[in-house]
Amino acid sequence: MTATARDKPLEASLAGALDVIAWEIELAGARCIQLDTLIGAMLNTLSPENQAQALEGLHTVDLLSQHLTGISAFARELGEGVSPELEARVDEALSKVSLGALADRLTTALGGVERGLNDGADCGDLDLF
Amino acid sequence: MQFDGRSSKIMIAESDRTILEMLQIRLDVAGYHPIGVRNGAAALELLQHTRPDAMIVELNLPDVDGYEVLKAMSAYSNRVPPPALIMGRGLSMDAIKRAISLGARDCLAKPFSGADALDRVSRLLKMKPQAVKTVLV
Repeated sequence: MTATARDKPLEASLAGALDVIAWEIELAGARCIQLDTLIGAMLNTLSPENQAQALEGLHTVDLLSQHLTGISAFARELGEGVSPELEARVDEALSKVSLGALADRLTTALGGVERGLNDGADCGDLDLF
Repeated sequence: MQFDGRSSKIMIAESDRTILEMLQIRLDVAGYHPIGVRNGAAALELLQHTRPDAMIVELNLPDVDGYEVLKAMSAYSNRVPPPALIMGRGLSMDAIKRAISLGARDCLAKPFSGADALDRVSRLLKMKPQAVKTVLV
């Protein structure tokens, strides 16, 4: 039986893997900024008591966004300094990712085959069950 | 009033889903209208019926590459294409020169951050459209 591209173990450099991680963290940071904007837009519709709570939430999301931006820059910089010959065991690491859409994005970004997990209704990044 | 390009339509042609989504969110939150495509063929199709105010184009797109997208945009716009920013990893001087000859106005080397991309887009939108003098075939 011939092994398909999907069955082939995925090989990636450590530098490439760190770069992919940096982008994912950057995306999470961008989603925080989006959430921050949404909360900000809702502020005027809330009662004064709820506004205080929402402001606290806004502050937390802002901190989270800055936190993620910092880690992303750190991972990106680490990747830039790593020898291109060093390899990462990405297959095993990918098997631990339980979110379909995230696993698919990571796989394709690392050079693997897309499984279309972004297309279904149950593929979201929120693992609710 | 200073024109800051907000509410401008920006086409992003980028094959990596994570980078594309990150750019779309960052631009959307900043008040732009991003339209994302993941390959060159989709970019060409989009350009047939949409005229973006600016474009962000990955040079190494699968199938139809970024040069072809720039070339097509010049043709559709009667040689005065909207300003374009090219992206790529390890962009050589030759690659940048070729992209500029096809209408690119700026380049962004990977890796970059979302904030870097926003700064460049804002700068790009302040540029006036410029005729493409040389189109390599």
